[in-house]
Parts: sequence; structure tokens; C-alpha cells
Amino acid sequence: MRGLNVLVARLRALLWRDKVLHDIDEELRAHLEMEVEANREMGMTLEEARLSAGKSFGNLGSIRDLAYEVKGGGFMETVWQDLRYSARMLFKHRGFTIIAVLTLSLGIGANTAIFSIVNAVLLRPFPYQSPEQLVIVGEGVSGGSVSYPNFVDWRDDRNVFESASAVRSNESYNFSGAGEPERLQGRLVSAGFLTLLGVKPLIGRDFLPEDNRPGAAPAVMLSYGFWSRNFGNDPNIIGKTITLNNQRYTVTAITPQDFEFGLPADVTIPIGLSAERFKARGADPGISVVARLKPNVSQQQTETELNVVYKRLEQQYPDTNTGRRGVLMPLHESFVGSVRQPLLILFGAVGLVLLIACANVANLLLVRASTRKREMSVRVALGANRWRIIRQLLTESLLLASIGGVLGVLLAHWGTSFIASQLPGSIPRLAEANVELRVLMFTLGVSVVTGLLFGLAPALQASRLNLTEALKEGDRGSVGRHKLRNVLVVCEVALTLTLLVGAGLLIQSFRRVLQVDPGFETQNLLTMQVSVNNTDGNQVASFFKQVQENVRSLPGVKSVAISNGLPLGGANHPIFFIQGRPLPEPGKAPSAIRYTVSPDYFQTMGIEVIKGRVFVSQDTPSTPPVVVIDEALAQHFPNEDPIGQRLSQSASGGPIYEIVGVVRHVEQYNLEGHAVRTPQFYLNFNQIPAERWPGLVRRINLLTRTDVEPTGLAAAVRGQIAALNKDQAVFNVRTMEQIVSESVAPRRFSMLLLAVFAVVALALAVIGIYGMLSYAVAQRTREIGLRMTLGAQRTDVMRLVIGHGMKLAVAGVVAGLIASFALTRTMRNLLFGVSATDPITFASITLLLAVVALLACWLPARRATKVDPMVALRYE
Amino acid sequence: MSNPKADLLQGTLDMLILKALSLGPLHGYGIIQRIRRMSDEMLTVEQGALYPALYRIELKGWISGKWGENETGRKAKFYKLTRAGQKQLRLEEESWDRLVLVVTKMREAT
Repeated sequence: MRGLNVLVARLRALLWRDKVLHDIDEELRAHLEMEVEANREMGMTLEEARLSAGKSFGNLGSIRDLAYEVKGGGFMETVWQDLRYSARMLFKHRGFTIIAVLTLSLGIGANTAIFSIVNAVLLRPFPYQSPEQLVIVGEGVSGGSVSYPNFVDWRDDRNVFESASAVRSNESYNFSGAGEPERLQGRLVSAGFLTLLGVKPLIGRDFLPEDNRPGAAPAVMLSYGFWSRNFGNDPNIIGKTITLNNQRYTVTAITPQDFEFGLPADVTIPIGLSAERFKARGADPGISVVARLKPNVSQQQTETELNVVYKRLEQQYPDTNTGRRGVLMPLHESFVGSVRQPLLILFGAVGLVLLIACANVANLLLVRASTRKREMSVRVALGANRWRIIRQLLTESLLLASIGGVLGVLLAHWGTSFIASQLPGSIPRLAEANVELRVLMFTLGVSVVTGLLFGLAPALQASRLNLTEALKEGDRGSVGRHKLRNVLVVCEVALTLTLLVGAGLLIQSFRRVLQVDPGFETQNLLTMQVSVNNTDGNQVASFFKQVQENVRSLPGVKSVAISNGLPLGGANHPIFFIQGRPLPEPGKAPSAIRYTVSPDYFQTMGIEVIKGRVFVSQDTPSTPPVVVIDEALAQHFPNEDPIGQRLSQSASGGPIYEIVGVVRHVEQYNLEGHAVRTPQFYLNFNQIPAERWPGLVRRINLLTRTDVEPTGLAAAVRGQIAALNKDQAVFNVRTMEQIVSESVAPRRFSMLLLAVFAVVALALAVIGIYGMLSYAVAQRTREIGLRMTLGAQRTDVMRLVIGHGMKLAVAGVVAGLIASFALTRTMRNLLFGVSATDPITFASITLLLAVVALLACWLPARRATKVDPMVALRYE
Repeated sequence: MSNPKADLLQGTLDMLILKALSLGPLHGYGIIQRIRRMSDEMLTVEQGALYPALYRIELKGWISGKWGENETGRKAKFYKLTRAGQKQLRLEEESWDRLVLVVTKMREAT
């Protein structure tokens, strides 16, 4: 309370200085006049009364000053005075100021940018009601997807949760509006999805249970963006219908502008309409469940409750549910858990860069402090005490840091959108990253801490001067100051080495990832997705047959194929059974990735055939079904020839496939899954009766192997498709090299960013070493001249200077190596194919730093050898 | 500021001012007169000491000042004891009494 009063008074005195002074004057004058009146009443003449009153009052001026100071005057004026003086000093030494401000704004700006991303992705709460009560339910050990029948069973069985909704993202729809057919991103949800999240639709209503029944009238909720793009924010859209995949859906709601949940979606549709698609209990349909915990029931308790139901389901459906359990994960963890570590590592790295920047500016300040010694001495001689000088110098540092902070915010504003645009879409909520209030508070805090950090030590040192000595001695540096500067250089080198090692390890990992053989040829391969919305299977089959033929006839095309899945994308993952072997225990059946492809797929992809044959045109729906397996699945036949063996996809019934060939394994999910090879098998599109196609696949990949640069052919291929059906939507036109590049984009991004930080750090460290040594050489000109007069050779002088610099560099490298050993452990699971203490990386980085440090020492050393002994001795 | 003697005097002056104001709101000149009367003309507070003390106490929130008019219609700043000031006065009087008691006891001891 008291402190606040004082602060208010100080501000008042600063802002309304005249008013405060006037108030005091008025009050004192009133006092005097009352005294005069009293004196007159006692019989004095006016003159006598005034004289006597004035005398008894004492020194009016000094009372006024004292009163003013008590009223808070002065303090703010000193601050203002200090600020003005600092600004003058900074302006006078423009070179220093520009370098310091640039260094600081880079450091602060980079920190602000990374923090605004950390803030958006990790810190900001999700815009749902009580988001801490929300969990994602998965099945299996690692929290995989939930089978829809299981979800329906436990949702209806007992009230484990307050509420729960199944969600399947990454659906796609063809929207035929007024213009060209448009492909929309869709999301399937069950009833009460928005209500569960505590989100109110902008207009309209959430899905009701009756919307979610199989066979219900199709309903749809539109995203704000889609609504305003296509319907111009028309509120009367509610109750009208739109056409998706040739089916009419009634619009029930528009979701709020800022609403998002997982992957973006233009349309949200009841999942119950597709219940038929998800009816297999043993499937792995990519459905996750978002649920709200009951009030005052812990996640642990809820999970136990849920698994009571799962145990019952296990007894009821041993074929599919053996070993299936529900796993809960907090929503926040589920959405951002995987990006937390890389982000925090980047955040730590950028913090180190700022520390190095601080060390550099502190070094600059120390140099300047020695040239300002006389100025300080004069101020002390004129009566400034130590605190007063420290205060002045800190004001200067804080002013510097503030300018750096303001520029840093500008840099960050630009940098954040740049970083966000460079980042792959896989990082949730990144689009929300911006420089908002919390980020500004962070920057303010960082700037103040930075200012104190680099300003305090030089200020303390500068203020600890011996007056007579300083006035007498002039510009010769003192030992203590050198020690501090040496320590700063050692720290800089150590921090830089740590950053370089971290970046080096990520670069190594990235190289290793790119060296992984994906199992197919990535060059000259064009891919695109074609949606299937016709319900007439014969038309679909003949359409794709025709498309392949026409594209094959284009010049520059070597071969064409279709498939229902692509490497480095999602995949179906069914279980399989080997004929003639005892049935595995329920739930223990092996599973494999299933591709359905046309016969030319292997040739088009460049997948090597190891044994047997691949599909041929003689394989038709009426010939015995055949299957091609990969080398990983072939290991299920350790001592026998897999060719001729038979597989089925269900324990009883269904087609039985004969294995006719073995091909190379391909990397399915990403290039980094090398250690765990999930078996793969291929079915032949041509053996699937045409009428089953529409139910089987919703998008088909069209693959074109070319002789020429594949992007050049994209338009021609699309033209062929449009010639057959002008309403056919084609999307995701990419080369296979682009797909590979996108799959490593997150890794490339963190590698690049860390590398940039490390290079900035290296540059700062070089400047630090160079600046420190140049200064030391200048200081030691006399000593060097003396040595040379006494017979020292140039090489001796070189050795002297370089020795000084390299001693510090070596100390820094040793400290940095120790720090690196400790810190790189934290990034172990970001690494691929390289250990956290990879000796090659450590050695090459050490060497790099040593060479760079040597260069930084060499220039000042050469200058030292140019010292003319006579001039140096006469100096001063 | 850290001179113990000054602190003692200042503390005492604060108490005197608070005591004077406990009888009712008053301007600076009046406070001096009132202290003089209350002490049977034995204590005279210097104006030079009064005003800094008044402002200091005001910042502490024990008194609050407000412009008004005195009995002859002259404009003057009147100070009034706040609730916190009343509490402070009680505290200071108690500790003063204790001090007097202790000192008296010491003096009477043989």
C-alpha cells in the first residue's frame, strides 16, 4: 500500500511537477499569512508582522525543496535525467550502439518468435470449456484407433464418461457447387460433438442422436471459412441442402470462426451415416474418441471403469477383442505431446543464443567502460556515489535492451509468420501463433533480464574505481576487468560449441534419414488422387481402366498404375491368417499393411521382385485369387518356400489367396521406421469384382512413371482425366520426391532452425573472440613494443597473442564439450541413426570451432606484429 | 535518514502531529499552535520540520489533506486523521507509555 502511494506520488511529481510545486507554495504561503495575521493581532505593524513571520519560518527555499522531495519529486526526475543522458551517450557512440542493438534485437527477436510459437502450441489453453477434463480414448497399448462397434457398446453400456464422441478426421468430399467441383476436407463425429467440447455453433444446432442413426436424413455442419467462401456468410443456409459426393446434406449449423479440432475440416458429418463402413469390430478404422471426464473422477479411475467394459467385450467377442483395452490420454497431450520436445529444445537453443548475445554486449560494454574511466572519475569527483553511477550505467543498459526489445518484437512479428509458413501443417494450432499480449510480456521480461544480465557486471566493475588512481592512470586496463572479459569469452565459446553439437547431431540424423532406402524409386514418379463417388462399380472400373490407357499413351510416360495406398501415407492394417497352420489365439493374429494395386504397380513404383511373379493381366475375378507379399511377411515362412502358400483375411470364410511372389519391403509410415518392419501384402485390383469397387475405396492413387521431369506432365495427365469426365475431382498432385520431402519436413525444419541458431552463435562468438583480442593487443602495445625492442621475434609476438586467445578457446571448448555431453542426451529421441554422443560429430565440431577461433585470433595477432617498437615506447 | 537520533525525533514529531489532528482536522499553522497549546507552550515545532513530516505521514496514509477555508475565510490545506492514522496513534502512544514506564522504573530502582 505504502509502496504504491510512493510510486503514485513519484509519478504525480513527474507528470504534474508544476502543480505539485504550486500546491506546496500555496500551503506555505497560507501558513505565512496566518502567522502574519496572528502577529498583527498581537499589535505589530504589518511590516513587523511580516518580518517576524518570515524569520520564524526559516529558509523558505530549502523547506520547499525538502517538502518537494518528500512528495516524490526528484526520483523520477533523476530517472528522466539518466535516460536523457543515456540516450545522449548512446547517440554519441553510434557504432557501439548499432552493433549492440542489432545483436540484442536478433537475440530477443528470435526468442520472441520461438516463444510465440511455444505459447500458441503448448501454453495457450484449447478454446473448449474446461479443456482439462477432455481426454482422447484409444484402444490397444499405444492409444491406437477405436473400433466403432466397441465405441457404441461402451458408450451405451454404462456412464463411464460425462459424454463421448467418436471422431474420424481426414475424410474427403466432392462438393459440386456453382463452379468447378471442389474437394473438401471432412470430419465424421457422433451426436453431441460440439456440446461435449462446450462450443456453441455460430448459428444452428449441434447434431442430435437422431441425426446419427444409420439411415437418418444426411446432415452437415459447415466451417466458418467454407461458409463465408462459398455462401457469403448467408445465415439462411441453415435448413437448406448442399451436395457432397452426389448426395444431398441438410445444413444444421455453422461452427464458430475460431473453432478447430485436430485436422482442419470444411464439413462435419454424423459418423452414424457411415456405420456400415465401420461395422467390423476387429478393424482399425482411424477413429478416435474424445470424451469428457465426469466431474471429480480422475482419469485413472475412469480408465479402470472403462476397462471393466472392455473385459466384458473381450469375453463376448474373443475373436476380435482379445487383449483390447481402452487407453486415456489428456486431450492436450494427445494433440501436442509429440511436438513438445522439439519445440522446447529449440526454445532452449534460442535462449543460449541470447546468452551469447548478452556476453558479447557485456564485452563491448567492458571495453567502453575502460574508455569511459575518466568520465566516471569526474562524476565521482563531483560527488556521485557508487550507487548513483551503477544506476546511471544500468539505465544505459536497460535503454539498450529496450531498443533491442522493440526491434526484436518487429523481427519476431515477421519471423513468426515466416516460421509458421515454413512449418509443415502437422503441428497443431500453429496458425494461431502471433505476437500477442503474453508474448509481449515475455519480451518485456526478457529485455529487462537481458539488460541487467549484460549491464550489471560492467556497471559494478566500472563503479569500483579508485579515484586518484583512475585520474592518474589514464587508459591502461586493470587486471580484474581482463579476467571478467576472459570468462565471458570462455562462456561464449562453450555455449556456441553446445549449439553447434546439437545442430550437428540433427544434421547427421537428417542425412541418415535421407539415405534410408525407401524400397522404391522416388525419381520421375508423378502421383495424384482421384476420388470415387460414382456408386456404379462397372462405370468406376472402366473409367480407371480408360484413364490408365490414355495416360500411358502420353509421350514421356513409361508406365501407369493405380493403387489404394501410397508409401509415406496412411495405410490399412488388417490381420491375416496362414492356411494350414493352427489358428492363433484370439487377438494374437499377425497383421500386415494391405495395398490393392493394378498389375503395373510394381514396375511403376520400381519395387524390386525378389522371387516368383507379380500380377499379370491373366489374373481376373474368375481366376483363383493371388497375393504378392513383401520380404518381411516372407519371414513368417522361415523354413519353407512362401510361393504357393495360402493366406486369408479372416479365420473362417472369405477368399483364400495364393502367394505368387515376394517383393522388396517399402517404408510405409515414414523413412524412420526402419527398425520395425511391418509386413506388407498386395492384392490385385483386377481380381476384385467391379461392383465392389465403390464400397472398397474412396480415393484411388494414379501413379505415372515418366522419362522426363514429372511435374511437366501433370497438366497433360489431368487433361486426360478431364477429357473422360469433366466433373472428376483430382487432388494432391505431387511427385514422389515431394512426398518424400514432405515426410521429412518436420525434421528438416527443426534441423534448419537449430543450424541457423548455431551459425548465429558462431558468428557472435567469433566477434567476441576477435573483439576481445583486438582490444587486448591495443592495450598491450607498449608491452609488445618493449618485448620487440628486447629481441622478441614476430613469431614470438604471434605466439603470445594467439596463445592468449587459444587458451580461452580451449577452455571454452572443454567446458562446452562437458555441457554438450550433458545436454544432447535430452534430444536423444530426435536423433536418427546417430548417438547423442556421436564421436564424429563432437570431434568435427570441436575442430571447426578451433579453426574458426584460430582465425579470429590470427588477425589481431598479425596486427600485434606490425607494432613499431619505437612508436610503441614513445606512446603516451 | 539512518541517523537514530533523527529517527527518534521524527517518530515523536509524527506522534505529536497525529495527536494534534486527533482533536479534529486542521491546517499546518493550526497544528503548530495546537501542539504549543497542548504542551502548555513548552513545545514549538519548527515550520521547516512540520511540512516534510506532514507530507511523509500523508504518503503513509495516516492523514489526508484537502483544501478548505479557515475561520477568516483564507484558503488553507486541512489535514484529517484517517482510520489508519488513528490506529497508528494508538500504537505510538502505547509504545511511548511503555518507554516512559520502563525509564521511570529504571530511574526509581536503587
